[in-house]
Amino acid sequence: MADGGGGWQPPRPCEAYRAEWKLCRSARHFLHHYYVHGERPSCEQWRRDLARCRDWEERRSAEAQRSLCESERARVQAAQKHALVWTPRQSPPADWHLPLPQEEKDE
Amino acid sequence: MAGAPDEREPGPAAGEPVQQPHVAGRVFPERPPEGKPQHRFLSGFLSNNQKCQLMLLRTLEKNPYVKLLLDAMKHSGCAVNTDRHFSCEDCHGHVSGGFDASTSQIVLCQNNIRSEAHMSRVVTHELIHAFDHCRAHVHWFSNVRHLACSETCVRDRAILSILAVRNISKEVAQKAVAEVFESCFNDLEPFGRIPHNKTYARYAHRDFQNRDRYYSNI
Repeated sequence: MADGGGGWQPPRPCEAYRAEWKLCRSARHFLHHYYVHGERPSCEQWRRDLARCRDWEERRSAEAQRSLCESERARVQAAQKHALVWTPRQSPPADWHLPLPQEEKDE
Repeated sequence: MAGAPDEREPGPAAGEPVQQPHVAGRVFPERPPEGKPQHRFLSGFLSNNQKCQLMLLRTLEKNPYVKLLLDAMKHSGCAVNTDRHFSCEDCHGHVSGGFDASTSQIVLCQNNIRSEAHMSRVVTHELIHAFDHCRAHVHWFSNVRHLACSETCVRDRAILSILAVRNISKEVAQKAVAEVFESCFNDLEPFGRIPHNKTYARYAHRDFQNRDRYYSNI
């Protein structure tokens, strides 16, 4: 996941940053967010990320790349900060694909 | 996870109430070993069972919440097969559906689901239980906090959902929800956000499909 070096591209297409920014700023989202969290949403980061994405597309700016990575990592961190109530599985349940316990015979 | 059929509690692990239910315990009379959907030919052209199956197929094809959940489950090793993992049955009371962890099946109450919109909500709800079952060791029957966690979106609805399938007091249900709410409310998998409507669900699906690019470039 290291940035820098050949082959890097923004984590999302620039159009996705624009769409998220527009959604964030919509009246509907304001209402949803206020209802759930009791405060207005903050959309500034999407706008910054959009600008950096375009900056990288036009000028291949290293600073834009660095900032964009930092911003996305912060999002991932924020999403992970609550411990789960249950233990994650290492593999899916063994019986998920098994046939039903008692197959019904067709009459 | 208690998967042995012999010691299975009556009925599925989790369900969605249509109205304020007073029932708890056995509301899914058609669950194994003897259960078989009954075909009733009403005045309508199709039986309840046929209507249920048709609405299910439409939901699976069109609904963005459902499509994301199916993709996420496939990615987690629990690909969903319609014939194997869904069952349209008659149910007692006002319950709309449930997830039976002991058989890995989603039960759809063909006598209570009356519209495609309702079917979409039920399938989404139960797929979330199935998804949680797939990715984590959820003790559906022995740990009411685990059940509460899978039901958590809005506190009161979580409490109602628990009371629909567990013979416990409202106070116990409330306590379980309160204990897990902070953690479980913030667990947004697989959506990554609260999908308030289909637009959010479509964005979430797009993000899910983009995850390889995302994680390899941050």
